[in-house]
Amino acid sequence: MTAVSPDAGRIWTAARGPLLIGVIILFAAVVITLLRGSGEGGALDPRSFRPEGSHAVARLLEQNGVRVELTDNASAVDGATLFVTQPNLIDPRRLADLSGRASSTVLLAPSPGLRRLEVGTRQPGCPLADGAGAATTGGFTYEGEQSCYDSTLVRTGTVTTIGYGGIFTNRDIDEEGNAALALSLLGQHERLVWYVPSAADRSQQKSLTDLVPDGWKYGALQLGVAVVLLAVWRARRLGRVVPEPLPVVVRAAETVEGRARLYRRSHAASHAASVLRQATRDRLAPLLGVPPGDDPSEEIARRTSRPVTSVRALLYDREPVDDRGLVALAASLDALENEVRKA
Amino acid sequence: MALTGRAGLLALIGVFVVGLLLPSWQGILVLFGLLVLCVAVDLLLAGGVRRLTFSRAGATSVRTGEPCVVQLTVHNPGRRLRGVLRDAWAPSAGVVADRVAVDVPAGGSRVLSFELRPLRRGDRTADRVTVRSHGPLGIAARQGSHVVPWIVRALPPFHSRRHLPPLLERLRELDGRRASLIRGAGTEFDSLRAYVIGDDVRSIDWRASARSPDVVVRTWRPERDRQVTIVLDTARTSAGRVDGALGGLPRLDTAMDAALLLSALASQARDQIDFLAFSQQVRASVPRATLPVLVQAMAPLEAELVEFDARGAVSEVLRRAGRRSLVVLLTSLEPSMEHGLLPLLPALATRHHLLVASVSDPAVHAMAAGRGDLEAVYAAAAAERTLAERRRLTALLARHGVDVVDALPDDLPRALADRYLSLKAAGKL
Repeated sequence: MTAVSPDAGRIWTAARGPLLIGVIILFAAVVITLLRGSGEGGALDPRSFRPEGSHAVARLLEQNGVRVELTDNASAVDGATLFVTQPNLIDPRRLADLSGRASSTVLLAPSPGLRRLEVGTRQPGCPLADGAGAATTGGFTYEGEQSCYDSTLVRTGTVTTIGYGGIFTNRDIDEEGNAALALSLLGQHERLVWYVPSAADRSQQKSLTDLVPDGWKYGALQLGVAVVLLAVWRARRLGRVVPEPLPVVVRAAETVEGRARLYRRSHAASHAASVLRQATRDRLAPLLGVPPGDDPSEEIARRTSRPVTSVRALLYDREPVDDRGLVALAASLDALENEVRKA
Repeated sequence: MALTGRAGLLALIGVFVVGLLLPSWQGILVLFGLLVLCVAVDLLLAGGVRRLTFSRAGATSVRTGEPCVVQLTVHNPGRRLRGVLRDAWAPSAGVVADRVAVDVPAGGSRVLSFELRPLRRGDRTADRVTVRSHGPLGIAARQGSHVVPWIVRALPPFHSRRHLPPLLERLRELDGRRASLIRGAGTEFDSLRAYVIGDDVRSIDWRASARSPDVVVRTWRPERDRQVTIVLDTARTSAGRVDGALGGLPRLDTAMDAALLLSALASQARDQIDFLAFSQQVRASVPRATLPVLVQAMAPLEAELVEFDARGAVSEVLRRAGRRSLVVLLTSLEPSMEHGLLPLLPALATRHHLLVASVSDPAVHAMAAGRGDLEAVYAAAAAERTLAERRRLTALLARHGVDVVDALPDDLPRALADRYLSLKAAGKL
């Protein structure tokens, strides 16, 4: 029998290891998700101690007898101050409904503003914020019944709109009259609903999936099944991968290249120069009929009409050479050799 | 088990069925159930792959780079089998098309032919034969593998055989079998024969002519029945890849090529060849080698990353070669030789004539000629140092009466053969 395909027993033996690992990973993921509470740390989050967080404001408000309720799903707003940090994420109709029920509402930088304005310290110039005095404002300007700080803070009825949230952050709360302004805006009532919109609020809008007929959602699921089946079709190999037994092959010149790099790194110019000189002497000796090892300078001088001393200096000089001198030396050795070959 | 593209296609069609007719979980489940049923039916009715039997026939050796055919016979004892068969080989076996459609009737057999074109020297072994047997619906297939062993030995390519005709011509000239203007250059006295017009008068044997009615000349022939021991170094230096006309090849392959050319020539010259591949121990040994046997012995040899044991190699040569012979050592001139081979030379040189053939590296020569910037000059110095080392070794070897052939990979086989012929002409064997 030549068959080597696995039967059910061998498949189970091979698969139980990966299966066990998969189960462990799944279990760990579930446990971690359950144990990990909601994270703290967004900008303008009353629990956050980071510079862009708002723990300081929340603390001040509590000291002044205001109950701060952080929520991501504002429903009980009756008789409270509603503070919306990201009004743009909420459906406008819902926002209008909420601010109608709340005793007063503070919106932070809703779109669209009238125009952009640099962030900076401004004087209030209106009775609304006279108690606070100068404060860090800017961002956008708005239109309203009462307007302060060059129209970056306006109030229409019970709805107050502010163009920049710096006064609520831990970083800027202690500047100028920021703290007083924040308290006067958010501390108007005994209860403050601090509304940080979540994905649940946005789903109240119609999303793309709402627009697809119900039947096609199941169609999409079936499409998933089809994709999995196609993947199974493509993934199944016709027999295993065959490894290639590769022989040991090394580039033969590698040791020579390595030695060249060593010369270079240690700036062994003098050593390299003596090697090059020796090579030139070895090549020239048989051309000139000089026994190997003997000084060919005189013979070269005789043939090329160069002075003996300069030839000998070129071929034998023991003076140390630097990197630049080495390149020049190689060139002049070549020139000498060419001259001898032509002579 | 394996699915086919049709299973996925059916599921895709199911998207419309679910979307338009059955938009519910139940719809998806019903379709999936149907698909599972089809797959089960297909698997049940597909021909079995486990009980197939296989046998092979065809080529067992081929020259590297040339095509050969291996047949695979499938015998099917069960139901009719339709599907795909893959005969898997390692990539270097160079199978032209390793998967074929098969249709084997119940109880019948089929012979499938696979063309191989090995890319690399050595033993190429067959891996598994895998069969995928489709069911009648073509949705699912049974799949299974079988081990059907077979080995195709890819022989050394012997590229240098193109040099053989001119070398044989020279050998014949040496032999006197071909008329030439120069006097037959043989060195061994062969026989006496009657003078014919055109013979060199200097070859007349006067003493014999005096005893005979005719003028008699001496004839000469080159030495024959000499022993040539080829020692191939398969240790670390032979692994070095050197670029030649055929691309980068390990020194070992070039050395093999040279050894083959030398053996072909020497066997024509009626010398006896003894082949030995050595690294730390004997890797291959062919006494009284002929070319086909030699080629078979060389094919599976690969370089090993160990130091060449010169002492072991020399003692092996001394043990085997009884009478005086030409020992050709195919290795690389490396500084390590000074401590390995040189101290052993006196023992070897008194009894045999040693010829060292070495593959030199064109890359080193190119580096030695490098000029221009600092990097190139340092590379040139390093290369010159290596070349000087080789020259010094050559001189040292020559002092011990050793012949050295140090040539580029493309020239080495020819250079070695030429040296052999000139040694023969000089009667030094």
